[in-house]
Amino acid sequence: MATTTATITLSSGDIADNRFSVSNTSTLTNVGTDTGMTKTTGLSRLELSAITKIVLFGAGGSTDSTPGTGTGLAINKGRFYIKNLNDRGDGTKFVKLMMDDFEIGRLYGGDWAFYPWDGGSGSDLEVKPSSTTDTTLEYIMFYE
Amino acid sequence: MATTTASFTLSSSDILSQAISLSTTATLYKGGTTATGLEQMNYHRAIIPTGTSFDLIEESDALKDNSNYVYIINKNTAAADYVTISINEEVIGSLYGGDWMFIPWSCDLSAAANDSTIEIQAFTAPNTIEYALFHVGETLVTSADS
Repeated sequence: MATTTATITLSSGDIADNRFSVSNTSTLTNVGTDTGMTKTTGLSRLELSAITKIVLFGAGGSTDSTPGTGTGLAINKGRFYIKNLNDRGDGTKFVKLMMDDFEIGRLYGGDWAFYPWDGGSGSDLEVKPSSTTDTTLEYIMFYE
Repeated sequence: MATTTASFTLSSSDILSQAISLSTTATLYKGGTTATGLEQMNYHRAIIPTGTSFDLIEESDALKDNSNYVYIINKNTAAADYVTISINEEVIGSLYGGDWMFIPWSCDLSAAANDSTIEIQAFTAPNTIEYALFHVGETLVTSADS
């Protein structure tokens, strides 16, 4: 097994009357156990320049493991990290973070997300830029 | 405006032949602005009983199509205890004891009613969770006796 940790710190000196700070670390483990995940896609870097939906990971572990075409990795119960590496610019350009054609949220320049992804039928993990401006993403999946 | 940052560190010394480590920090801004920080936050702690899917963070007009950020952690310690997080009737993923997630949430109201609401369901045992919503606005309910 491997030991991989993910730490988040949320911090603000002025969103509340007193300083707000929350920090937690989780170890990436297989489903329902303390056994560390041993598989990863590795860190990928992707440049997009069209307002086109791209499947980063296909659901069910059958296809679309790479952008556009995909050759198939059995990814289930993943832990997914993605970041929009662009500068924020004028704050109007973003990348839609999507699942099965549905918009979860928007990654503006500098934004990141980390969340579990169970896969399963119809749960393709997708991104779609809001403009034709060159957009660079980095992402990595850890999985069982 | 407020300045709130979300920092992330990922590291492993043995999942690959070489150690990996990455770190990043984002400031939570309102959508459509160059640098106007989100200034509203809700922070909750709840015990989620098993057997039912609950609305955790409800969609609303005040939140739609903008920058909101959601943080959820499962505070249970048993590795087998978990909750599922769903949006639009689809499970995004499962948070086992100790797991956390952080996502942008645009509260897309273009689909059917309640489709953007973030839902949660506990399995195995009641799960204690904490969650935060950093948001652009809140739909306040007029008092019934006002």
